[in-house]
Amino acid sequence: MNAKRTLFTATGLWVSLGAVALAFMWHISVGAKAIPLEIVWQALVSPEEGVFDHVVVRDLRMPRAIFAISVGAALAVAGALMQGVTRNPLAEPAILGLMAGATFAVIIGIGWFQLAGTAYVPLFAAIGALGGGILVFTIAGAAPGGATPLTLILAGAAVGGFLYAIEHAAILLNEDAFRDFRVWLSGSLSGRDMETYLWALPWFGGGLIAALVIARQVTALAMGEETAAGLGVDTVKIKAVALVSVVALTAAAVSIAGPLGFVGLVIPHVVRLFVGSDYRLIVPFSAIVGAGYVLVVDIAARVVLAPIEISTGIVTTMLGAPVFIWLVRARL
Amino acid sequence: MSVTTFEALGGRVALQLPVKAVTVAVVMAVTIAVVLLWSLMTGSYELSPPDVWATLMGDAPSETAETVVWEFRFPRTLVAFMVGAFLALSGAALQYVTRNPLADPSLVGVSQGAALVVVSVTILAPGFGYYWRPILAFGGSLIVAAVILWIASSRRGGETLRFILTGVGVASLISSFTSALLTYGDIDRALTALGWLAGSVHAAGWDEVTWLAVTALIAIPILIGASRPLSAIRFGEEVATSLGIRVVAARWCLVGLAVGLAAVAVAAVGPLGFVGLVAPHVARRLAHSGVGMHMVLTALTGSLMVGLADFAGRAAFAPIQIPAGIFTAIIGVPVFVILILRTQARSQL
Repeated sequence: MNAKRTLFTATGLWVSLGAVALAFMWHISVGAKAIPLEIVWQALVSPEEGVFDHVVVRDLRMPRAIFAISVGAALAVAGALMQGVTRNPLAEPAILGLMAGATFAVIIGIGWFQLAGTAYVPLFAAIGALGGGILVFTIAGAAPGGATPLTLILAGAAVGGFLYAIEHAAILLNEDAFRDFRVWLSGSLSGRDMETYLWALPWFGGGLIAALVIARQVTALAMGEETAAGLGVDTVKIKAVALVSVVALTAAAVSIAGPLGFVGLVIPHVVRLFVGSDYRLIVPFSAIVGAGYVLVVDIAARVVLAPIEISTGIVTTMLGAPVFIWLVRARL
Repeated sequence: MSVTTFEALGGRVALQLPVKAVTVAVVMAVTIAVVLLWSLMTGSYELSPPDVWATLMGDAPSETAETVVWEFRFPRTLVAFMVGAFLALSGAALQYVTRNPLADPSLVGVSQGAALVVVSVTILAPGFGYYWRPILAFGGSLIVAAVILWIASSRRGGETLRFILTGVGVASLISSFTSALLTYGDIDRALTALGWLAGSVHAAGWDEVTWLAVTALIAIPILIGASRPLSAIRFGEEVATSLGIRVVAARWCLVGLAVGLAAVAVAAVGPLGFVGLVAPHVARRLAHSGVGMHMVLTALTGSLMVGLADFAGRAAFAPIQIPAGIFTAIIGVPVFVILILRTQARSQL
């Protein structure tokens, strides 16, 4: 990597980190009572007991901003890994059934085992994500022509539709247990507490670290399996690690925010436009840009129709679906 | 295909009759009648078969029986049957025209387009005429269909899986707008719209029966007229052109018809998934036949599917009503998966 390129990357890193920090503070300042940015800054850097605005910032608004950052980073990295390892430009946790599986498992866990707010929620989500993903890949792999982007997406749509129907029935049959989860089901950052987040945190951390560790080998895999093997990459091992990482990240994101569609699809493509095809750059930049993206989307979801709040998942779909359609036209 | 030919007047009048297909059709019609009777009997107020018969003949055993049958169960069941037939025919027409075995109004966003318009009207202009609903829904889904066909056809012709994928994207985009409207709207109206969105027949009454019947009167002659172009288009555009079919005109006419049927069905009961996908394939399994007979069988299969789904949704977990759309999805997805496994992905691309 030459010096100019390094400089460009370093500048990009600092600029995007700065943008995320700014979006973080903006996210906190927006709300029923607008809080000026400098007070947000004071509250974050040197909080004083008893100042009302500082309490609002730290106890009420900051958790949601942290959720947005974590969920955005996790989904974007999961999408980047899936696109790299499967060499499928349309791969993403939501499209390929992982998110539907995770959501379904969480609904079952909450409805039948009363697990709301416990350590088991991310675990259930992970099992569900794994199951959903395996189901989709099995169906697509058994189709004539194998697991092409086309068959994968169709299988994803099928599994998603099926699980959604069952979820819907489960909710109708047990409305009391799901009263708080109606909003969650459409993908929302509101209403989760810090406790749930802390249970999901190890999953976020583990998934992100694993993704960063295998980023170099994923670059090789993205060029093709033979190329990767020729470069001395243990393809089976890397794929297994990538799967674990994607499942952990999806599970953590779903257990906080429910199904947020298309984040993992859009962000890696945007990042690739700027940093090229090296996953050592794509993975960290996807995390940063994804975090910023979900922060901004969540601001929009709260501001556009204020005082009514739209679910964050609805906004990510509105923005992501056109990108999906464009990719179908341009890449398939 | 087993065909018996009837001739009269020394062969001047001849009628080819696919025996197996006709038998299947008769059996299905009888089954539909049985399901009708059964769903008129079942519910929180049980009725015996003779009672139902007497009520239908205008000689009800009691006031309650009269109300229950004529006000609630009978229109609802009729709507379920008609909606099933419409969605099934819409799916079949789309599959013929796009030559794509996976085409279905709810999979490619046509139903969602109708749903978005209906939800917008329900929430933003609740006073707006109830009878305009199907027409508005038709407008909404026509726009969606045009957009999808335009996007999908611009590179390598319309008859590819790209059509479905574009549709999947458009469907989720439109659904997100619908959900946003629901959060924006007044809570009572939003709840009404939400029940309707799950695809439930239970609110249907005689108004819906009227719309659907009127549409059927318009659509059935067109479909009968279309069976000849359809059987030619099946073999590809070149063949159809050389047989003297005006392919482009026929195609747009059929797309319009498919969209119209789906839109009216959706305006009545909400987007019921997978009926249009499954029914044509099941009908083809049951009996091989020409396009016309296949359409009849498809309509019957669709009716039976939605009729049974509605009945199951009403009876399985009574007193909670599960929308018929959930049952059609649970039946429909496995069929969808089988179709994916059978579709030659490469030959479609």
